Amino acid sequence: MTLPLAGLLRYGALSLLGVLCIGPIAVMVLTSFKTQAQTFTTGLSFFFLPTLENYRDVLFDASFGRYLVNSLIVGVVATLITLLLGCMAAYGMARFSFAGRKALAYTTLMLRTVPLAVIAVPVFMIWSDWKLTNSLLGLILLYVAVNLPFTIWLLYGFVLQVPVELEEAAAIDGCRPWKVFLRIVLPLIRPGLAAAAIFTFRIAWNEFILALVLTDRSTRTLPVAASLYVTDLGVEWGKLMALATLIAMPPLIFTFLAARQVISGLTAGAVKG
Amino acid sequence: MGRLKEKQLLEMSKPQGDYDLCCYIVMWKGEYVAKNLVQPLEPYFANVALADPAYDVKDIIPIYYENLGLVGGPKGYLAGPGAKLYGLPYGAETSVLAYRKDIFAKHNLAVPENYDDFLKILRVIKDKEGIGALTSRGQAGHQCVHAWLLHLNPLGGAVFDDQWRPRFNDKVGVQALKFFQEVVATGPAGIPGYGQGEANTAFLQGQAAMYLDSTSFVGLVNDPSKSKVVGNVGWALHPRGVKRASQSGGLGLTMPKNAKHPEAGFLLLQWLTSKAQDKAVTKQGGAPIRNSTMEDAEVVKQYPEFVVFKEALKYSNPDWRPIIAEWDEINIQALGVAVSEALTGKKAPRRR
Amino acid sequence: MNDNTRTGWLFVAPAVVIMLVACLYPVLSAVHLGFYEWSMGTPWSEAKWAGWTSFQIAFTEPSVWRSLWTTLKFAAVSVSAEMVLGIALALALESNLRGMAFFRSLFILPMMVAPIAVGLTWRYMFDAQFGLINAVLVALGFAAKGWLAEESLAFAAIIIADIWQWTPFVFIMVVAGLANVDSSVLEAARIDGARWWTVTTRVKLPMIAHVLAITLVMRLIDAFRVLEVIYVLTFGGPGESTEVLSLHIYKTAFIGQKLGAASAISVLLLVVVMVLTWLALRMSNPMRDNEGDR
Repeated sequence: MTLPLAGLLRYGALSLLGVLCIGPIAVMVLTSFKTQAQTFTTGLSFFFLPTLENYRDVLFDASFGRYLVNSLIVGVVATLITLLLGCMAAYGMARFSFAGRKALAYTTLMLRTVPLAVIAVPVFMIWSDWKLTNSLLGLILLYVAVNLPFTIWLLYGFVLQVPVELEEAAAIDGCRPWKVFLRIVLPLIRPGLAAAAIFTFRIAWNEFILALVLTDRSTRTLPVAASLYVTDLGVEWGKLMALATLIAMPPLIFTFLAARQVISGLTAGAVKG
Repeated sequence: MGRLKEKQLLEMSKPQGDYDLCCYIVMWKGEYVAKNLVQPLEPYFANVALADPAYDVKDIIPIYYENLGLVGGPKGYLAGPGAKLYGLPYGAETSVLAYRKDIFAKHNLAVPENYDDFLKILRVIKDKEGIGALTSRGQAGHQCVHAWLLHLNPLGGAVFDDQWRPRFNDKVGVQALKFFQEVVATGPAGIPGYGQGEANTAFLQGQAAMYLDSTSFVGLVNDPSKSKVVGNVGWALHPRGVKRASQSGGLGLTMPKNAKHPEAGFLLLQWLTSKAQDKAVTKQGGAPIRNSTMEDAEVVKQYPEFVVFKEALKYSNPDWRPIIAEWDEINIQALGVAVSEALTGKKAPRRR
Repeated sequence: MNDNTRTGWLFVAPAVVIMLVACLYPVLSAVHLGFYEWSMGTPWSEAKWAGWTSFQIAFTEPSVWRSLWTTLKFAAVSVSAEMVLGIALALALESNLRGMAFFRSLFILPMMVAPIAVGLTWRYMFDAQFGLINAVLVALGFAAKGWLAEESLAFAAIIIADIWQWTPFVFIMVVAGLANVDSSVLEAARIDGARWWTVTTRVKLPMIAHVLAITLVMRLIDAFRVLEVIYVLTFGGPGESTEVLSLHIYKTAFIGQKLGAASAISVLLLVVVMVLTWLALRMSNPMRDNEGDR
């Protein structure tokens, strides 16, 4: 299989796949630079005079700044809390035996499967009761809760790969469990943390059904704003795609930069069985 | 559509709300009143400390006043003994037929005056011009029901009869649905997937020769950055079936029951719907709610279409759809599915 | 394994509290709410105890069963297409080509795009008049299609969008699994004269069976959770052809405003997902127990 032809064929096939993967993303980005009239030219139109008009309209919309700040707060805070609680829990479950550990492991796994639509109604009701609707805190709490199961599962796999001898050595040197965790384990599972961060951020930044139900116009996040942008008055594709591009870019950039960690995070749990 | 409502319901069911004035879609008025969420306006108009003596209620277009404001009459959502005013129109509309003057002139076509001509001309335009005849909303749910009701009303049908028995599937209901199917067959491609945005776009981009929808569409048609058909569009009355019956709908304003400062809300409402403000908003492209604005020489000069619109308002049917508390559910989850399935050909229109 | 129970619990406690309060409690509340008749906008004190009525209605309502069927169809078609495509591509393209890392970082991008952006972009591309898909079809000599306007095509559209977004995930998982296969075993098989097909089906794939199983489980779970892309792309239409159960729950709750009925349907979806997960877990246990490991 070392024939140059076979190699070329593989590169050709990989490139084609790459184009298919990037295609729709490219359509989104290209369309965001088109004028309203250009978005309605029928056919394959890749060459056009780009305009920044859509970005100007979206970015200078009076509320955009607020939605962006809301999205950033929700995304960043939810990710940080999830990571902190998630790696603690993963460590606790991987390294300590305690009553209910197995039940906890299975409950966590089961919670990972819960469709968000299932909890939409009760959360809407409970949050109203607790005065958490229309607040960023309510959204953060929810995103932490729905992301924890996957984060724990992912980090659990990474903790298991930390050589237990290192921890034992540190413990013999008189380190308390907290110090072992902070000094030895955390640095070694950094790739896992990076992956978990991206996966959590992806949900907290992108999600819009629960956010639609749980926010009002002052606490709205960007994806909710975009979903409301599909107005009854007209499908302004240029503006919609500019907004979609702005929403899609942060996770895409993080993912591309930390691709190795993301892939190892995705596959570690499954592959090293 | 519909996504604002859950927010409002939640907001207005709190003991004390954060909003003193709320804007609602006409279809929600019955439900809001039934759930005791909004206030009647009469006490405020009777309050000399609040009411502006120069405020001319009679000047508000009567059909809009009835359609958006009144709840509690004999039929629930229409005028009559017991009806109370729960809100005022703000951005109301009726239906008119927009058509391409250039295409009609080119093929020497007459603007359809009644539904027989309307039906015939669909195929003629499709065959002669090769573009869609009539663009229409058609997406499952509210959108396709809206389009079907546009035809059902002039053809003499209704969703319920006077005894509240469903009659949407009678002979007329089927006729309206068959008409709608012909609209899809001769229209621009993809109508069963069209929301109002896509339907607008097809007309604005010159993919369809006619558009039967709201008067509020005129602003977009005349906007050269959004419309390729500026200057080529004529306006006519919604064609006559067994009668003329154009749409009635739009938005209204009212004070929530849990408002902290309902008086302030009322003052704002009064100002927003005043004669001067209505004219100013209309000149900026808004939809007028007052006869004085519709007749204003300056406004008519800016919008010559208003002559036709004013005529259309005479035929606007306040009973265009049953605005009962359950309407949203019937509209979206029952009729909206059935009509959509007929449009895609999954089910044939059939009497029961 | 450390036997310090108290410290162990201290590590897991914060996460457990949050999951109990904001995830498990809502799930259990969904079951509880299913027994009430309650309309949005009315105070909870006006909710009526309805017993099993909501469940009876939910389970006899044809539209519920139709959307369950749609969900099953969606999961079956999209996940099997993704598995087959992903595995085939991985087998054809694995090996340590230079630049593979770059391609893999391209391939993980689709699954990271916000669902709202995915939905909007595909909606624009599937547009009957101005869409790229029809433009390509016409350029290739086919007829343009009313993608989102016909039931079967709209269903195909949501499947295509899902395949685009998630086949790369399968691909990456399988490539990672194959990279871990002991190459000496493959060499041995080849020396024995086994052909590519035999090596693949008899040696390679069985050796990554657990990876395939986990990948399948993860895809199935997500296919049953799908909501947002369909919400934007078709909102369930035309007719009810793309109304998956999640969307049906959303509509019942927030458009029909029947919160009790929506909760009852939620329980149905929950049971389906749980049963499937349980079945899949019997095939492989991703939360491996490490007691036997060391």
